[in-house]
Amino acid sequence: MTGLLDAPRLSPAAGRHVRLGVTRAAVLRRRGTTVAVLAAVLVLAAWRAFGAPGGVINTGGAALLDDLLARALSPRLDAEFLLLVARATATTLAFAAVGAAGALLVGLLGGLALSDAAWSRRPPLPVRLVRTALRGVLVAARSVHELVWALLLVGVLGLDPLVAVLALVVPFGAQTAQVYAETFDGVRGGAHAALRRAGAPRTAAILYALVPGASPLLLSYAFYRFECSLRSTVLLGLVGVGGLGQELVVSLQSRNWEEVWTLVLALLVLSALVEAWSARVRREAGSLGDARPVVAAADAEGVGALAAGRADSAPPTRTWTRWSVLVGLPGLAVAWWWTGASLEGLTDSLTWQLTQELVADLLRPALPDGGGSVLLLAVLDTLAIAVLAMAVAVLLTVVLAPWAAAPTASAAGPRDRSGRTRDIVRAAPRAAARLVSRTVLLGLRSVPPTIWAILALFVFFPGVVPGAVALGLYAAGILGRLVAEAWESVDRRPRDALVRAGVAPWRAGLLAVVPPSVQQLTTYTMYRFEVCVRDTAVVGVVGAAGLGRLLGEGLAAFRYPVVATALLASFAVSVAVELTSRRVRRGLSGNLRPRARPFRRAPARTTRFSV
Amino acid sequence: MSGLRPVVDGTGGSALCRSAPVFELRGVTVVRGTHRALDEVDLVVGPGERVALLGPSGAGKSTLLALLSGATDPDTGAVLLFGEDLARLAHRRRRELTARVGALTQDLDLVEHVRVLHNVAAGRLGRIGLGPALLRLLTARADDEVREVLARVDLPWALHARTQHLSGGERQRVAVARLLLQRAEAVLADEPASSLDPTTARDVLELLRGSATTGTTVVSLHQPSAARHTFTRVVGLRRGRVALDLPPGRLTDDLLDDLYARA
Ligand SMILES: Nc1ncnc2c1ncn2[C@@H]1O[C@H](COP(=O)(O)OP(=O)(O)O)[C@@H](O)[C@H]1O
Ligand SMILES: [Mg+2]
Repeated sequence: MTGLLDAPRLSPAAGRHVRLGVTRAAVLRRRGTTVAVLAAVLVLAAWRAFGAPGGVINTGGAALLDDLLARALSPRLDAEFLLLVARATATTLAFAAVGAAGALLVGLLGGLALSDAAWSRRPPLPVRLVRTALRGVLVAARSVHELVWALLLVGVLGLDPLVAVLALVVPFGAQTAQVYAETFDGVRGGAHAALRRAGAPRTAAILYALVPGASPLLLSYAFYRFECSLRSTVLLGLVGVGGLGQELVVSLQSRNWEEVWTLVLALLVLSALVEAWSARVRREAGSLGDARPVVAAADAEGVGALAAGRADSAPPTRTWTRWSVLVGLPGLAVAWWWTGASLEGLTDSLTWQLTQELVADLLRPALPDGGGSVLLLAVLDTLAIAVLAMAVAVLLTVVLAPWAAAPTASAAGPRDRSGRTRDIVRAAPRAAARLVSRTVLLGLRSVPPTIWAILALFVFFPGVVPGAVALGLYAAGILGRLVAEAWESVDRRPRDALVRAGVAPWRAGLLAVVPPSVQQLTTYTMYRFEVCVRDTAVVGVVGAAGLGRLLGEGLAAFRYPVVATALLASFAVSVAVELTSRRVRRGLSGNLRPRARPFRRAPARTTRFSV
Repeated sequence: MSGLRPVVDGTGGSALCRSAPVFELRGVTVVRGTHRALDEVDLVVGPGERVALLGPSGAGKSTLLALLSGATDPDTGAVLLFGEDLARLAHRRRRELTARVGALTQDLDLVEHVRVLHNVAAGRLGRIGLGPALLRLLTARADDEVREVLARVDLPWALHARTQHLSGGERQRVAVARLLLQRAEAVLADEPASSLDPTTARDVLELLRGSATTGTTVVSLHQPSAARHTFTRVVGLRRGRVALDLPPGRLTDDLLDDLYARA
């Protein structure tokens, strides 16, 4: 950017020309830099991971894993236990729903307050100051992981169901508010501003133009949040929030492998159902609406959530949406009742006193035992975990996602009736591969990273490696799904055109399908990397390494000044990573422009975007 | 710059306005990027005037209309609506004035996936309370006022259609219906006829004229031929400056050729 200041002033057209005209040397230079940086980062991470004295693999623990795998086909299925599983499932679902609903509420209010679109003019100074402060609070709130929020809140509220609700609502609400603000600002066209100029009062204009325009994306994102909330509820089981997560931890720690398998199965079924439901609603939402999808830097999956609602052929109906709202609202009341949460704890005088103490402690951060070098190493470990986890995730994604992606319609050639059976026979292995890879991905992301970490700690000594493996497996589940969905939406028409022009199909694919696919993978990987850095807290708490471990130890010993330091450090790391990643992504997208938007309405306008 | 000198004719219009002008631009400059989309433009439009705005693409027509509707602010100079300088007004007063001007932008500013009736009813949000507005939004009930304006734009059947399913021309008529319901005193329209056949274009121009309670309209056009019929005054923009300002009767082909000539 700065270089441009000294450049001679060019007419707009000439400027465009200069920007697009890239020399080969520049391309090579950039590729070289990318590869070198990537290699350096990986080597550094590997050095942190495997350089430790005393080895990495705990040979004694492998037997446990063996045991676990041996019982895969004999889950515990007696009535008593199944009843327990059913109750746990209901609890998980209830917490997830309440958490998502709370986040939605916070997000709507916060989003409207933060969005520029809701204000027809520049808002007055006091409002702007409050907004800036609010933005800061939200960024801080979402940078702290749900699990850490839960651990902090347990210190204040004790073991109360409200802890789980708040631990979900606070970071998710903050995240949602940011995304919603951008969604409101992204509502296409000047409908809202035009109504304001035409004399409509503020609230009426918001309700007539802004909310309808944004609602499909808002809904899409709310359901995506519901999925996240489900995963996080399971994860919060670690701190004693009931439900499948807690049962899993208990069964794992008491080595009841048969129970573990039953619980994992229940978890898989629940996640599959919730995801399928969410996908339905999101697909419907995808065919409606005026808003451009938000590319929230902080929200890898949000992007996927919006990209995932594909609207190719679906006629714009709203059956699922309508029923979801009809069933969902009363369902929420039931869910709230089932969780047993009540807001009374908030007004308790003890709560107030403990909060004051906690805040006072957090406001005077102190270095951990061992001083600054321990902190620095923890930061390095955190980064190493995140980098290696992403390496694992990308590897698994490349292996699994191609199978998980459904072949697009245009890939299947014209077919006549006589060929049908043969087609089905030919398609069967492909369908089987798809089912298997999707199930594996579902399993990877449904089992929370804490559980993966507990398992990894059977096999590895505490350190970077188990953390990276645990997070990597979990991240692969999410990344794989995102990438598979993105790949499904890669435009195959250029490839088909090449094939018609006589190019061999595989060559045409290499030329026209692989580059955009790689681009999708890279972008999602960068997004996911940001999330991964934040998630390292989770595996740390279980005992892997990094800042999360400092956090976990500090919280266990009630040493809040150390916790504060660790929180500050994680915040700094995530902000740094986010900024770096944004730069990298901008650099990557430099040579790729979004697909041209057709002049008038295209059916898939809301959800499709090219990265 | 070419040798083109502004062709301004005293009878163009300003003579007509004895009461306060509806629109007035005083030395207005708008900078877009590195160049001026509008360059020291002066323009006065009185009540009842029907101005056709001509000029090659990029001349600044849309920018000028955005100024008049209050959607854009000038970098220098003043924009006056009904005699009051927009920049000096409190927010509320400013909105009172802009509400008296109806604007049809090129992208129509419709809310895409609500039903047509809501887009139409949005035109009178300034006149009705929040309660009724919300109730109508929820119950999707149309009243006679909405039906009547939809009938006037010849779309009675589209009442409950989703806006996004309509064709370009139909969507434009929805926007005109919204405009009708606003009961604005003056109406601005940015290339309302560019994608329509000549007959439909004529109809739309008539509707627009009817939708302004004082009959004051400023309309940018692509086809100069239309300017000769429905308008009382032609303003030509070229490179952000007013290049001609005439009654349509005096518009010659030579003048048009100059206006649209390549640089
Ligand atoms: N947002 C913008 N950014 C940069 N340049 C703009 C922008 N809007 C308009 N312009 C430029 O200002 C000039 C006038 O634009 P416009 O008023 O849209 O012209 P017209 O409507 O007559 O075609 C054009 O050269 C256009 O490129
Ligand atoms: Mg224009």
